[in-house]
Amino acid sequence: MAVKIFIATDRLDSVLEKLSTKIDLLIPASLKDDKSAPTGFVPFVPGTAPAFDRQTTTPLKKALLPQVETLLRFEYHKDPQGSPKSSVTVDDQRQVRPTLVFGARPCDVKALTTLDRVFSNGPYVDPYYVERRKNTLFATLVCRQNDAKCFCTSVGGGPADMEGSHLRIVPVDGGYVVEALSPEAQTLLENLADAPDSARDAQAGQIVEEALKRRVGELDTKGSPEAFRKRFDQTDYWFQMINQCLGCGVCTYVCPTCYCFTITDEVENLKGERLRSWDSCMFYHYTLEASGHNPRPTKLERYRNRVGHKFSYIPERYEGLLGCCGCGRCIRSCPVSIDIRQVVGHLKENTSE
Amino acid sequence: MAVGWVKRSAAHHAVSEIERVEKAVLETSRMQLHKLVEEALPELEMMIGWAESSDPLQTTPIFIRDAKSISKLTCGPLCSQNLTGYLVKPPALDSVPKDAKPIGICVKGCDSRSLVALIQEKFLTRDRVRIFGIPCRGTVDWRKVEKRVQLLNVKSATVEDDWLILDDSGTTHKIALEEVLSRKCLGCRYPNPVIHDVLIGQSATPRSTDLATTYRDVDAIEKEPLEQRLAFWQSELDRCIRCYACRNACPLCVCQDKCIVETREPRWLTQRAGIPEKFLFHFIHAMHLAGRCTGCGECERVCPMEIPVTLIKEKLNKIMEEMLGYAAGLDPDAVPPLLTFNPGETEI
Repeated sequence: MAVKIFIATDRLDSVLEKLSTKIDLLIPASLKDDKSAPTGFVPFVPGTAPAFDRQTTTPLKKALLPQVETLLRFEYHKDPQGSPKSSVTVDDQRQVRPTLVFGARPCDVKALTTLDRVFSNGPYVDPYYVERRKNTLFATLVCRQNDAKCFCTSVGGGPADMEGSHLRIVPVDGGYVVEALSPEAQTLLENLADAPDSARDAQAGQIVEEALKRRVGELDTKGSPEAFRKRFDQTDYWFQMINQCLGCGVCTYVCPTCYCFTITDEVENLKGERLRSWDSCMFYHYTLEASGHNPRPTKLERYRNRVGHKFSYIPERYEGLLGCCGCGRCIRSCPVSIDIRQVVGHLKENTSE
Repeated sequence: MAVGWVKRSAAHHAVSEIERVEKAVLETSRMQLHKLVEEALPELEMMIGWAESSDPLQTTPIFIRDAKSISKLTCGPLCSQNLTGYLVKPPALDSVPKDAKPIGICVKGCDSRSLVALIQEKFLTRDRVRIFGIPCRGTVDWRKVEKRVQLLNVKSATVEDDWLILDDSGTTHKIALEEVLSRKCLGCRYPNPVIHDVLIGQSATPRSTDLATTYRDVDAIEKEPLEQRLAFWQSELDRCIRCYACRNACPLCVCQDKCIVETREPRWLTQRAGIPEKFLFHFIHAMHLAGRCTGCGECERVCPMEIPVTLIKEKLNKIMEEMLGYAAGLDPDAVPPLLTFNPGETEI
């Protein structure tokens, strides 16, 4: 028997406060005092107003793959003979706290299926990611605010897609109906609030029904992997598509499925830290080799790689899974209005053009 | 020919010339632009302008080599991007041999100052560009629009008189243009291109003629106590995601792939995403633009996190004007003060 509760809008803060005594909470919220400012997922503290009315500016992925994290700390030791780096001690202790993301969107949670394939399904398992993944639950909002840049159903998701979610939040008149979708989520909902009345329960049901039917976006990705391969060497095509690209990292940093990272050692005297931080395939240094050679020397090769990775390499490697969740953030944030739907859509057009 | 090339016009353009072009037979600026580009294209390597994008509220740059695409060109308050950076970065730079024909480019008043600065610093010679100057009444900041009305599926965006009219999923929104103009536009002193070969449309009236209006946002911050100013910048820069859009969009950020924040040898900045790193990056960016920044506002326009990064450069620009009486990007023949070295200098 599913557990459902109703949280009235004016009780949301107190319910979240109560919930935060059971588990750490991350909620979507404005990143400054101004409500209309850019939003992101932040740790809940009482009084933080959740921004449920629009998609966050920055994606959810940082909950599992922080922009920067310390992989380990190290310290070299001198031996009595005076050799400065004769031994090294390494400390990779870390603490991961159970966390509930309250108010994620289906597209953001869907994106984690791509990250899972890369970080947890082998052959190389990333312990840092896996630990966070196991300790993070998702309460996902049935999405009613898709805009012209959203295209989740074009890439296998949907506004009511609950794949990977533990709780479903349905915005109804006067509040939210929250339903547990897994046993561990049921425990979280205990003693939080009353069950919804029958009218609200019915309304929630209708909203879910409607969202399940809604089509968002018209991109057709069928055949993209092959079409991309055909286009690969057509420099004119890529120039035409991305001439205007500035080569910044916005699209990759707001992307919920982009996961590339770099590792650097930050050393001071004999002590240091090994950091992992987000990298962007749009940057020159991303593929710069030690010899000085760069296999992707210009933005053309770099942008082509971004499209190929998401719509050709990942689906070919992972049984049709796409490296895109259709959230539209890259389109919304691109300073020069590059629309990845157009680039992918045109792949299949007459290739002689 | 009704409208010919206005020969080699420099800064401080004479009003009579502007009027002359205004009397051209073409009715609207856009049609006039198409006509002029059509005439000029055979003499050009390529034409860089603005075109509609998949979002009616935003335009996208277009690189025209073929007359078929000229009809896509547009101009007006939705053309907020400064295109001059493309002249010194790929593809314009890479794909064009040095002895090729000139590149045509559309510029607003602020954009034209970047062009002047590039010429001053010898990144570009004047004869490499054909400048299509477009007087500007201010450009729309789509984020300000989004804060006023919830945008779901904008079908069209047009500017009529002083209004921005949006058709969004069957609802018409009429928004006062004044309320959604970019911040930089509100203190604009140079709405008319300071350098151009030809002018399109009517000349615009400057919104500001004095430093107090132009630097009002800097003055407002300077009135705050030091601690509050620090707190302000810490909180603003905390949002930075280090995507470097501000750097890449800047027409005068010319180090390109050798930028100090990414070089590995030596490594000046760590990969940490703390406020100190972000602070350092933004202030290095600003300091490298001291006496060079023309205040085009591209860095701020492109910031996905809405950090008022142009403000840092505005402070430096204000110092330059107050101390040295110099504003960047006005006269192609002037030598910027920080690019000179006078062994007999007594004032420093």
